Amino acid sequence: MLPLPAGGAPHLLLLAALAALIGGLSAVERKGALQLMLSRPLVLAPLLGWALGDAQGGLVLGIPLELLFLGGVNLGGSLPDNESLLAGAMTATVVPAGLAAGTGVDPALAAIGLALLLPIALFGRRLERASEQRNSQLLEEAVARAERGDPDAARVNVRGLLLPFGAAAGICALGVLASPLLALVRVKCTAAALLAFDGAWHAVWAVAAACAVRAIRDPRGPALAAISAATVIAITLAVRGLW
Amino acid sequence: MIPAAALPHAARRVSPRTLARVFLRSLFLQAAWNPRGMQNLGFADAIAPALAELYPEPAERARAAARHLEFFNCHPYLAAAILGGAVRLEERVANGEAPPQSVSSFKSTLGPPFAALGDGFFWLALRPMAALAAAATEPFLGLGCVAVFLVLYNLVHLSARVWLFSAGYARAEGVVEAVARAHMSSGTPFLKACGAALAGAIAARGVLDAGLPDTPLEGVLVASALVVAWAVLPRLGATRAVYIALAAGLVLGARLL
Repeated sequence: MLPLPAGGAPHLLLLAALAALIGGLSAVERKGALQLMLSRPLVLAPLLGWALGDAQGGLVLGIPLELLFLGGVNLGGSLPDNESLLAGAMTATVVPAGLAAGTGVDPALAAIGLALLLPIALFGRRLERASEQRNSQLLEEAVARAERGDPDAARVNVRGLLLPFGAAAGICALGVLASPLLALVRVKCTAAALLAFDGAWHAVWAVAAACAVRAIRDPRGPALAAISAATVIAITLAVRGLW
Repeated sequence: MIPAAALPHAARRVSPRTLARVFLRSLFLQAAWNPRGMQNLGFADAIAPALAELYPEPAERARAAARHLEFFNCHPYLAAAILGGAVRLEERVANGEAPPQSVSSFKSTLGPPFAALGDGFFWLALRPMAALAAAATEPFLGLGCVAVFLVLYNLVHLSARVWLFSAGYARAEGVVEAVARAHMSSGTPFLKACGAALAGAIAARGVLDAGLPDTPLEGVLVASALVVAWAVLPRLGATRAVYIALAAGLVLGARLL
């Protein structure tokens, strides 16, 4: 039997619908509308986690994802990897799996989820390119309408939000529906495997922190970060009486 | 009361309500971002309510709407200044005080420099700094750190966007001077320095989490992994670095813990 969250299959369907709605809206907010940063992993993961029943679990995923993708910037026509789609898909899969397995989002679930779903960030970038091609068709439609004297031709603008919404909604819903499989893997983990995943998650944190230092594109950045890291470590050790 | 139509020289102005509609639509500037015109559809859609008010004659309005389908690209927030300025210039065009080309050249002249300014300040300085401040305070604030990020970022973002739009509308070409006086580019190095210090604190957290309370070797391993990752990231890319880290962490975790 696959482990399911409390409430069983009907509840899982409800969670899938919620994930679709929030994931879809985040895809729209990321670039097409508002850009209040609600779709950043740091916000989206705990928000979606809250909707699915575990905000703290979402935050466990959101912070390292935010750090990993901190340096990704949309400059002109260049596109970064899609951190929002990855954060949405990962939260939608890992949080319900943690609830179903009764473990919450622990290092093992987070590490397995990241290993399986990381390519979604790259896929999301391709999806964005496809969406831009679709927008080119909207432009052609607007130009044709403007040539016929339609002053509201540019209203097609908002239709550009549909494809990102639909794609992200579908992926997040699939994540929830696949979560019992991940929960099953987690339930089968031995104590030794859990320790190994703990190590893997620490290593991910190391890469995430390195990405964060790299994201500050400033010649003084590495030196400032090193001084600050050494200071924080020294103070912590001194406070704990270890140094 | 004399009907407006009987006053051929009455200055055409955009009402405050319409200005608010233009601003709200500007929040959807990139909804249909496309490779050929970039933000052109968003810009044309945002300015449409102002054009509807300025050009009561349908053919005139359609001509004005069509000229905003030309290529436009900027930083999505800084574009608010150009949009506000374009509304002001459209008022002048509608009143016969300026040629229609003045709007196009205003947009195409200010787009690139404002884009560079916005990219440098918002994308490369404010956003990383605010996110790092949230990540660094998470051990103390828990979920409250999300509010730290959103408040730090959006307080600056939203007030800048509203101010840029109003300054653009109030001054048209003079907005360049107003934006230059806002010292956005001089605030960037300070934000980056804060970001670097916060990134260091987060790196320390990763090391301490692994090393405390009684596994110092783990801490040393994470610190070494961090330095190696920092060095190889530009060549390796984040995706490959994560997979290598996952594999190495699994192997080491299985043997050492």
